Amino acid sequence: MSSLLIVDDEPNVLSAMRRLCQNAAVMPAIHNPSIATFTSAPEALDYLDDHEVDIVISDYRMPDMDGASFLACVKERHPDTARIIMSACSDIDGIVRAVNHAGIFRFVSKPWSDPDLKATILEVLAHRRLLIENRELADEVRAQRDVILRQKLELDRLERESPGITKVRWTEDGGVLLEE
Amino acid sequence: MTPARGRIADLDWIHALYELGQKAANGAHPQQVRQEILEHIVRGFDAESGSIALIVDGTTDQLELAAGTELPRGLIGNPLPRGAGVFGHVVETGQPVLVNGDAAETGLPLRGSVDRQRSTHSAMCWPLRVAGRTIGAVAVNRAETSPRYTADDLDQGQALMSLLALVMANHRMHVERENRILELSTLNATMQRINGMLEDAQNQVIQSEKLASIGQMAAGVAHEINNPLAFALSNLGSLEAYLTKIFELLAAYIDADVALGSTNIPALAAARMLRDETDFEFLRRDTADLVSESRDGLLRVKRIVQDLRDFSRGGVEEVLQAIDVHAALDRTLNIVRNELKYKANIVRNYGSLPEIECMPSRLNQVFLNLLVNAGQSIDANGTITISTGVDDKDAWISVADTGCGIAPENLNRIFDPFFTTKPVGQGTGLGLSVSHSIVRKHGGRIDVESEVGRGTCFTVRLPLAQANASLPNEAEKRAA
Ligand SMILES: Nc1ncnc2c1ncn2[C@@H]1O[C@H](COP(=O)(O)OP(=O)(O)OP(=O)(O)O)[C@@H](O)[C@H]1O
Ligand SMILES: [Mg+2]
Repeated sequence: MSSLLIVDDEPNVLSAMRRLCQNAAVMPAIHNPSIATFTSAPEALDYLDDHEVDIVISDYRMPDMDGASFLACVKERHPDTARIIMSACSDIDGIVRAVNHAGIFRFVSKPWSDPDLKATILEVLAHRRLLIENRELADEVRAQRDVILRQKLELDRLERESPGITKVRWTEDGGVLLEE
Repeated sequence: MTPARGRIADLDWIHALYELGQKAANGAHPQQVRQEILEHIVRGFDAESGSIALIVDGTTDQLELAAGTELPRGLIGNPLPRGAGVFGHVVETGQPVLVNGDAAETGLPLRGSVDRQRSTHSAMCWPLRVAGRTIGAVAVNRAETSPRYTADDLDQGQALMSLLALVMANHRMHVERENRILELSTLNATMQRINGMLEDAQNQVIQSEKLASIGQMAAGVAHEINNPLAFALSNLGSLEAYLTKIFELLAAYIDADVALGSTNIPALAAARMLRDETDFEFLRRDTADLVSESRDGLLRVKRIVQDLRDFSRGGVEEVLQAIDVHAALDRTLNIVRNELKYKANIVRNYGSLPEIECMPSRLNQVFLNLLVNAGQSIDANGTITISTGVDDKDAWISVADTGCGIAPENLNRIFDPFFTTKPVGQGTGLGLSVSHSIVRKHGGRIDVESEVGRGTCFTVRLPLAQANASLPNEAEKRAA
């Protein structure tokens, strides 16, 4: 299951994209998507605060908050969401800003090609999953390294069976403090 | 009787003088004509030598030597000292003078070089007057061996002088007129040149302004059009998928119904009646056509908006890449070959080209436009020749067709946005203007030669290396 959030000031664009994403007949199919749509960026930000979302797709030019600023906010508050910006105009400066500040994954121009857009969404989702997995893996490795370190110290202590045991102190988060 | 009197009274002599005047009016070299007139007078008065001095234009008393016999050449055109010598005296007083013996004896102020040339035995000098204004003076001299001039000779000469003055004045007027005409015609030529340059510049400005305003409009409108276009196109795709499902479902029901055979379930009877009234197969086929035709229409709108957007700097810029133009041409040819193969024989006349720095897909767009235009200009059995080569610092690529040609009055409009002679739906008139702006962006240009009924040749010239091609040109800066 993938959760998508789409923001565009034009409701017709939102329903067209919702249809497209839900329609498995247009390949490639997005598996079991859950889709939330908003015509206003601030409302979408509120929603994001208490909903888990995998990917945020935003229009660039919108009246109350432009897509680049919106996605920059999203990045700051929910760094794990993937971000795609769409635009009907070719405002290079804006797009460059979006890429740099909002750390967007992709830019899609309107009108889009249905299969291309879906492929892009899937790619970005896969990319994001990979990023998260990598990070989780890295966390795990780090945690394991901590455990190993602790065990090694314990072994040292046992080996020496010396009064030096008092010199080993535990920190609050379970680390080991070494003191001379 | 002095020989002089006989000669100048001779009608032939007067006629000859008149002829010389005519000659002057007909534009012979002025100095030469003055000299001939002087020589004629010298002969007429049986003189040994003579000279003409004329008042310099724009002054009242500055004389210059206009002609002279027995004088060193370089003296002609020299100014004479003001008020000096016999000439100065005559011009000043407006009265003819007869000098016999040493000129000094006459009490004239002799300082001028003419007077000093040699000591004269006998001389006459007349003022040249036209309409009450003195324009100069003529003098004739006799050497010691000839009899001296008399007062009679002076009077007789005086009678001729008005004629001579007229001839000289005419001549001068003529020269002035000639000069003025020359001046005017050079002025005219300069003006024409400047005019041409202005016109060119103006056309350039108009063209770039047109492009700039189109670009501006396009950038603004693109957003407005692209949004509805986006959802309409996408919805059409969804609709197509839905319809496929619906027709599948219907087909399944129909199959099931057929398998069921005759029954008398009332609901089914109504459905069967409806089915018999409807041409199901037609609906299915036509729905597919309907969707694909609508999609074609929307894609056409999309292309037009994209073309329009290419005018504005906003069109996503491509990075410069050194490419093999021949390979690019071949790829483009592959795209259009299907459309062209029934009408035209395609000849490739590739020269040798180095790799060229360009924005590849934009350049392909130019080739595509030229090839499509060439194809559209041909009804049947034509030839499209693609040639390439290098000259100086440019690479050139030409696309020549044997098609309908372009009417001369349209030649300077074909690069205008929206100029098209093609029926609605076939041409938007953007192909060439987009191509033009792409080529300009590359620092190159497109030239066209065409003859109605014979064909057209477009030549694209591109600099081999791009100096600052990624910088926008003026028009685009304004459009941005
Ligand atoms: N090879 C050619 N032979 C004859 N006429 C030509 C040729 N190329 C261009 N033209 C003339 O120039 C006009 C403008 O050409 P241009 O490519 O800009 O627009 P178009 O072909 O009419 O439409 P579009 O290219 O947008 O579909 C054409 O309508 C046609 O009259
Ligand atoms: Mg064309």
